Amino acid sequence: MNKILEVKDLKVNFETYGGSVQAVRGISFDLHKGETLAIVGESGSGKSVTTKALMGLIPTPPGKITSGEILFNGKDLTKLKEKELEKIRGRDISMIFQDPMTSLNPTMKIGNQIMEGLIKHQNMDKGKAKRRVIELLELVGIPNPSARVNQYPHQFSGGMRQRVVIAVALACNPKILLADEPTTALDVTIQAQILELMKDIQQKTEAAIVFITHDLGVVANVADRVAVMYAGKIIEIGTVDDIFYNPKHPYTWGLLGSMPTVDSTEDELVAIPGTPPDLIHPPKGDAFAPRNPYAMKIDTEMEPPLFKVSDTHYAATWLLHENAPKVEPPLAVKRRMEGMASGLNNGNSGGDFS
Amino acid sequence: MTEEKLLEVKNLKQHFKTGRRQVVKAVDGISFDIYKGETFGLVGESGCGKSTTGRTIIRLYDATDGQVIFNGKDVHGKKSRGQLKEFNQKMQMIFQDPYASLNPRMTVMDIIAEGLDVHGLTKTPQERKARVEELLERVGLNKEHANRYPHEFSGGQRQRIGIARALAVNPEFIIADEPISALDVSIQAQVVNLLKDLQKEHGLTYLFIAHDLSMVKYISDRIGVMYFGKMVELADSEELYKNPIHPYTKSLLSAIPLPDPDYERNRKRIVYDPSQHDISEAPEFREVRPNHWVLCTTKEFETYKTEFQNK
Repeated sequence: MNKILEVKDLKVNFETYGGSVQAVRGISFDLHKGETLAIVGESGSGKSVTTKALMGLIPTPPGKITSGEILFNGKDLTKLKEKELEKIRGRDISMIFQDPMTSLNPTMKIGNQIMEGLIKHQNMDKGKAKRRVIELLELVGIPNPSARVNQYPHQFSGGMRQRVVIAVALACNPKILLADEPTTALDVTIQAQILELMKDIQQKTEAAIVFITHDLGVVANVADRVAVMYAGKIIEIGTVDDIFYNPKHPYTWGLLGSMPTVDSTEDELVAIPGTPPDLIHPPKGDAFAPRNPYAMKIDTEMEPPLFKVSDTHYAATWLLHENAPKVEPPLAVKRRMEGMASGLNNGNSGGDFS
Repeated sequence: MTEEKLLEVKNLKQHFKTGRRQVVKAVDGISFDIYKGETFGLVGESGCGKSTTGRTIIRLYDATDGQVIFNGKDVHGKKSRGQLKEFNQKMQMIFQDPYASLNPRMTVMDIIAEGLDVHGLTKTPQERKARVEELLERVGLNKEHANRYPHEFSGGQRQRIGIARALAVNPEFIIADEPISALDVSIQAQVVNLLKDLQKEHGLTYLFIAHDLSMVKYISDRIGVMYFGKMVELADSEELYKNPIHPYTKSLLSAIPLPDPDYERNRKRIVYDPSQHDISEAPEFREVRPNHWVLCTTKEFETYKTEFQNK
């Protein structure tokens, strides 16, 4: 596989009055051509900060990349000057933001907003850029594009606006597309359309997508690989099948267990007790230990390394150490791991009925 | 479950004027009953009128038309202070946004005790304090939290405060308007489990409004699906998920992504096309199967029925 991006031991801090918040505490991952990597985790786990770092959009101050490398085309993005970053941003790496209501300029016609990148990066003249804009709007499924280019964002619905945001991101055929909760603000039916659109575009352009979300259903839908983040670290990473059918980290168990499935009949959801840790003073040892029912003594003293489960699957929990006691995931999660596919087909059979 | 009606909504309408001649029909003639001790889920996309329905039921809006009957008495219409108070005590609401629904300048103690004060439920300050502390512990917070302000809490904790406030006056019926959609996944499960436990303990009845269909299915006994101000389908939650009838419900169900990669690879989405409906007459709410109601015309009603017989 073709590596196009390599992140090595990235750390990002934010200086605040209360102290230094360690938002991202040393993460490493690769991104391959044409794949979709989903990053999941709760708010505050550092997933958005990670993508912002990739784009060079960490506001400095208060934020700062304190160590690590982001290698793209042999260049370390963390060392580039703003001028050089501008050449990459929007052309090679572009971003789809969460909130389609605020990520477009309300005073600019949407045609001009999409054109900006084309004129800047590809030196197109206005006429040519306009033709390309109409093509792009067609690609993202906006009906009657030649009339729509001259409209303002408020004349579009939420789903349509998100399509415009996607068109902006796609304008220069980027190699990497960072999508930060692109569908969270949308209704399920619109969400399904946008996800289909993104997959479709990925097939046509072979772009790699980093998809940030906290919705595991969306992850199962779009991802090839999944990274689970907790308290600024990747605690489990693997293919989508590894994570959903063979999860190893207790936090991943908790995440899977706390989502009801459509046919679930359990009396109680498996909730993760407690709240995420304070990242100004991250706890010693495993940050998840205070919320982890399987925590052992070592968890409060030493941080677990990423243990290898298979060639594609790694998890940071002491439970994988050879001296650790054998622990089974909670029953509800196990049932989900094994029987979910069959159970769900059942639950959805009504959908085929027509 | 006792089949006693706690709340009856009859042909409820809520129209908002948005201009001199424009009217938004946010809720346009919906009827349903909620039985004692059950959880009734209300789902639909944003803008379909589900929150407006909840807010109109609890009289935050004055209904344009129709009736809401709670315990045999009409909620709307002219009322004396005493009658209003009695009603307000029995029906409470939990709001969507735990950041906006707590007064930032009041301590948690005063927020929770406000209802106690209004209804004169506690006689002495000690009793008041004891009741608040009891409520805090019940929803999983510490009694030391009583003297703090809302900004000192996380989203999940704030939502617990909102729940404690609703519980303070011993209500019978709680309207929960998207109580978990602003919370993280791991915290959502905590709050849902809490709501379920409280229901068992106090015999509460819930109207649970949400757009997260899997959560609604999990918590509700019966579910109503709304589309553009109308109720299009109403059935037991199990039945609704197994045998959805209205094309809109089908499309909604087929659009939910589930945390299962194998299932997702094979998922077929059904697209709802409003023009597929028979328009020879105005659709009515009819019972296609026992306790399974669908908004349809006579012709559609017949097709739906035969479809089920052939199945």
